[in-house]
Amino acid sequence: MDLFLQTLLNGLLQSGIYALVASGLALSVGVVGIVNFAHGEFLMIGAFLAWAASASLGIDPLLSLPVVALAVFGVGALTYRVSIRHVLLAPELNQMLLTFGLGILLQNLALMLLGGNTRTVSTPYQASSLQLGALTVGGPKAVAFAFALALLGTLYFVLYRTTLGRQMRAVAQNRRGAQLIGINVDRVYMLAFGVSCGLAAVAGVLVSVLLFASPTVGLVFALKAFAIIVMAGLGNLTGVLWASVLLGVSEALVQTYVPGGGGWSDAVFFLMIFGTLVLRSFRGNR
Amino acid sequence: MKKMLLTGLMLALSGAGAVKVGVLLPLSGAGSVSGQAARSGYLLALDEINRAGGVLGKPLELEFGDDGSAPAKAVPEFVKLVTVDKVDFMAGGVSSATSIAISGPAKQYNTFMAWIGAAAVPVEDAFADHKYFFHYHPWAYYNFEAILGYFKTLKTQRKAKNIAIAYEDGPFGSAGIDATISAFKKAGFNVVMAEKFKTGSGNFGPLVSKAKAAKPDILYWIGYDTDALPLATEVKQQNLQLGLLYGTPPSWPVGFEKNKLSDNVAGLSLWLPSSPQPESRKFVAAYKKKFGTTTEEYFAPLAYVNLKSLAASINAAGSTDKDKVAAELAKTNMPTPFGPLTFSKSLKTQYQGFKSGNWLHFQFLGDARVPVYPIRFAQKPMVWGK
Repeated sequence: MDLFLQTLLNGLLQSGIYALVASGLALSVGVVGIVNFAHGEFLMIGAFLAWAASASLGIDPLLSLPVVALAVFGVGALTYRVSIRHVLLAPELNQMLLTFGLGILLQNLALMLLGGNTRTVSTPYQASSLQLGALTVGGPKAVAFAFALALLGTLYFVLYRTTLGRQMRAVAQNRRGAQLIGINVDRVYMLAFGVSCGLAAVAGVLVSVLLFASPTVGLVFALKAFAIIVMAGLGNLTGVLWASVLLGVSEALVQTYVPGGGGWSDAVFFLMIFGTLVLRSFRGNR
Repeated sequence: MKKMLLTGLMLALSGAGAVKVGVLLPLSGAGSVSGQAARSGYLLALDEINRAGGVLGKPLELEFGDDGSAPAKAVPEFVKLVTVDKVDFMAGGVSSATSIAISGPAKQYNTFMAWIGAAAVPVEDAFADHKYFFHYHPWAYYNFEAILGYFKTLKTQRKAKNIAIAYEDGPFGSAGIDATISAFKKAGFNVVMAEKFKTGSGNFGPLVSKAKAAKPDILYWIGYDTDALPLATEVKQQNLQLGLLYGTPPSWPVGFEKNKLSDNVAGLSLWLPSSPQPESRKFVAAYKKKFGTTTEEYFAPLAYVNLKSLAASINAAGSTDKDKVAAELAKTNMPTPFGPLTFSKSLKTQYQGFKSGNWLHFQFLGDARVPVYPIRFAQKPMVWGK
């Protein structure tokens, strides 16, 4: 029984980091309407900035988090201005190819400038944990989960309780209509894309503490984030949390109870994408 | 103008007829820690060789190629070195996957290969019939022989009986895993867990929970540097009581030794900078003089030894004739940072350099890798966690 409960807990804690990555992607898809294939690379930039702040200035990654998020927000806004903005009205395939190319460019730039080495940060709380009877709750993963809850709550609040949020939703629903009533659509898009990249950077900072920083670290999480937003419904922020929990717990159960499950756990998210799409099309046909 | 032309002509003439060695390494990608270390080793050896008069009376030339840690990139890079740059000999080679990929072109062009890495048995199969293949790194079964020997000692001295194995699901971790498990069982160990994991996923929570339920004395982990910290973190967080966490990644993450979580984690290395061998001390001093720092990656001295021995053989052969150089390299008996280098048969290839006797087992103790076994090389007693 202890093993089962610990497995559920492991899955729940893992889902926090998934939700953090997916929330930014959901914002980008929901508001800007662009599937950002470079989302993982913005996470990678966040992880490297946190590592650099820790290695060269001795600043704890959690303390550098606001600055890193702001810096990557800036990078995201700049990316929007110089590239994304010009393909907003282009066919979806062009948009996808652009972000895909952007991802490859950023990853290879990191490889050229920093090499393929894995970089780790050292913090006093890295191995901290809370003992609940026979169960163990890992400290940094619990922090990631709390961050995910707080950020999703804040995002929800901004989207549904502020003027900017209303503007974002209006732009997402009808770009031309929003423009006609005086909303600066271009500014809203830029802010939404910047925030989406900033959220990826927040996840990157936590990934640098939990795992490492490397040019390819974003790829694994970006793939899972795609599965999550497909399950949640494209652009549906509220669904991101439950979809993340479902993915995290399913992976943990497969890893623990399926023989050779470690090798199968990554198939879980493909299965979930497959299952969700088939189910939705089945419902649509009815 | 005349002076410039003359200088150009002199330079061109001094390079003409120089012996060229192509070096294929993972300078980027997953294996770049080892690849970059090897590159430094080659550059150091090149300096020393050319200071001592070069090869066949001319400065030796190196042409580096980056295989990107990917077979698809390695093949065109190898072919370019052999056919466009027209190198006389090929050296380098770290990853098994890229070495298997280039085995076809190597045989097609009958290339002379002085190969430093690639320990997997399929590489041995791929080059078994290649008459110019000199392999310096011990094959995987020599590595395992060394690990099994160490674990047997732990069984006797520390009553270690239960082993849990965590292995990555690619060829590096999975190839020969059944043979590994049966060898442990044959040696009297209980293999209480053998679990696959996806390298780079960093999600070790369920695996460690499962290991905790199995109560192992040793957690033997076969994976890459990306897995080192996430695994060590999870072991600590879940308070998994182990005698030893033992890993065999090709390289360790940068700065891992400075992290408290690395304390007492053990691993395998062909060489450590603290090795007392006189040749090792000489290497460390020369390396520090050239690069201003030291290295803990054994691929640096391995590359150094590789080029020095190849250059010595070409000089002894008096030409770049492959048969003559192969005959001289086969006779090699030189002191190295790893101990003496000689070539003898392995299970399938003709010329195998280092074998199981060259491995050192170390532990991360106080911000450094400290040799703990074999006893004659141990600098500190091993820390057993139970």
